[in-house]
Amino acid sequence: MLLECMMNGHAILYTGVTLAFWSTILIVGICYTIFDLGFRFDVAWFLTETSPFMWASLGIGLAISLSVVGAAWGIYITGSSIIGGGVKAPRIKTKNLVSIIFCEAVAIYGIIMAIVISNMAERFTGTTPETIGARNYQAGYSMFGAGLTVGFSNLFCGICVGIVGSGAALADAQNASLFVKILIVEIFGSAIGLFGVIVAILQTSKVKMGD
Amino acid sequence: MATTGTMHLQRISASLAVLLALFSLLNSAKCDEQVPLILWTSEGVSTSTQAPPAAGHIVEQQQLSSYLEKALNEGAKNVVLFLQDKMSIEDFTMYGGAFGNKQDSVYPNLEVALMSSSSRLVLPAVSWPASNAVIGQLQDQLETSPLYMDPETLSQLRLNASSSALLVFRLPYGIGADLMSAKEILSGNDEVIGQVMSIMKSQSVPYTAIYTALRPSREAASLSMEAGQGGGRSLLQYRGGYRDRERERERQRKVKERPGVYGPVEFKEGDETCILLWAKSLSVKILRSGTWEDHDLTPSTFGEGVSPKLHGSSCDKTKARLVLNYENVLGHRSFKLMFAMSQRHYKVSARRWFTLDAVELEYDGTKATFNGSRHIYAPAEYSYRCESVTNFRWPLLTPRTSKDPSNQWRVSFEDFQIQGFNVSSSEFSYASDCAGFFSPGIWMGLITSLLMVLVLTYGLHMIMQLRTMDRFDDPKGPAISVPQTE
Repeated sequence: MLLECMMNGHAILYTGVTLAFWSTILIVGICYTIFDLGFRFDVAWFLTETSPFMWASLGIGLAISLSVVGAAWGIYITGSSIIGGGVKAPRIKTKNLVSIIFCEAVAIYGIIMAIVISNMAERFTGTTPETIGARNYQAGYSMFGAGLTVGFSNLFCGICVGIVGSGAALADAQNASLFVKILIVEIFGSAIGLFGVIVAILQTSKVKMGD
Repeated sequence: MATTGTMHLQRISASLAVLLALFSLLNSAKCDEQVPLILWTSEGVSTSTQAPPAAGHIVEQQQLSSYLEKALNEGAKNVVLFLQDKMSIEDFTMYGGAFGNKQDSVYPNLEVALMSSSSRLVLPAVSWPASNAVIGQLQDQLETSPLYMDPETLSQLRLNASSSALLVFRLPYGIGADLMSAKEILSGNDEVIGQVMSIMKSQSVPYTAIYTALRPSREAASLSMEAGQGGGRSLLQYRGGYRDRERERERQRKVKERPGVYGPVEFKEGDETCILLWAKSLSVKILRSGTWEDHDLTPSTFGEGVSPKLHGSSCDKTKARLVLNYENVLGHRSFKLMFAMSQRHYKVSARRWFTLDAVELEYDGTKATFNGSRHIYAPAEYSYRCESVTNFRWPLLTPRTSKDPSNQWRVSFEDFQIQGFNVSSSEFSYASDCAGFFSPGIWMGLITSLLMVLVLTYGLHMIMQLRTMDRFDDPKGPAISVPQTE
């Protein structure tokens, strides 16, 4: 039975990835300890030597991609419910498009933030931590943080709106008066995406990359 | 006869013991040289065979005299002594056909004599100064004076079985430089041995023959001394103690010094080495009227027999300063290169670290300072090593200010290693290298790749949980048919 459980693709994938990750960490940690080279493990070196551009780019990428994942997930959940419910009650299809629009809004937040953040990435001349300067480091990290903020907020917002929208469609199919009340729940769900956008804007408000 | 013999023997032993002590005092370095001695008796003389010595055993004076005494007491009183100028066991190895090439052997007559003798004794190693006393011993034991002769005179001599006689044949030996001549000489000596043997046989007188030499032909002692202390070591050699190891290492280091390999610059405070510096090359360049003029400081700092002047250097528990003084560098009469290091305890890492705070060039009153503490650091108990320490190419040294004279200089240290604290035994401690295992670029790639892998994993998870809808499957119902026409 264990073998049957292991034959499951999921189990193999997750055990494989987990094993690889933890064994790498364990072996690296053991080597550092045995050879008394713990002094070479330097987080500050990592943070100052890696380019701020990497962090900025990661932020931009995550902003758009995580938002789109959230939106897509929401649309897929709502969409299948509307289509399914619409077979028996075709009147729901027009009204329930508003749930889809709420999900789509999440993706729009993501792309707007991605464009806003990417406009802040400027060229700077400087190769060493001193010549790069604190401002550029701050810019890089802020952009990364902002991208992460907006991305994850939109991801969960999209999923939330999607599930609520799905419920709304099916309830509407049963009883037309239920839809308006459920829409309020959806509005609350949508607000959390907006919070993420606001915080991301605040994070990147002080960013000034360049010389 | 026996009692006088023993008394003689005792007197001989006593005098020889004193002689031996004297010899060993005078020739202490050479006391591990040996000379072989071969003894055989003629046919028909049966003696109890004496046990040969154990392999590698060096026969000393006392033992030699006891061997000879036994041989002479039981054997014949006529002793034929072949005394070669020089002999070592290596002669037999090299020229005696020992490697299966009996046809090349230069000792055929000797071998025949040994084979045909009734008893033989081979002492491959008789301690050398003692072996010189063979003649004296024989003389005393036989109570006759030696007769120096050659085969012609021997044929004219009439020997008597009852009376003792000591016949000595001096055999030459080559100088040793020319191998061919040594072989020929040994061959000639063997001829002489053969002739003497045949004459003795024709006279049918029982005799004891001894083949030995006055001194060894090879300087074996130096080989063994080298093996112990110079380059190699024998398998079972005991490496005793730290001091021995230290001495050995130092000797090995001096022996192995080749061009390009030299020791570090050492600054000693009192007796203890305090600062160590090594580099493959030290060079400085100055920008003068638009061109770079360079000067290589390596030959005046490192190398065999080069000792740079270190006036002004100092070191204590927390600060170390190494000053290298030069003359006539780039037109400056006095030129100093200073390395200033400091060490202290850092709370976050709970460890002592040392940093190379500054590299200063001082010339004609001007001081050019480079900061190095940003990149050049290592834990205090280790040394710092870097392939390239420069201020222009992947710079680890930066000018102190933008107006500093160091902005006109370019310093370059190749394969640079420095240690200013916790120096023990004038050797570098473990070298903390400036190059880590992963470069920043590798880390950035790894982080991004890890992110991609996570995304991929999640995507795979989602795809793998898609299932075909089978709610309305009815295996017993009619199959779906899609009509071609409307």
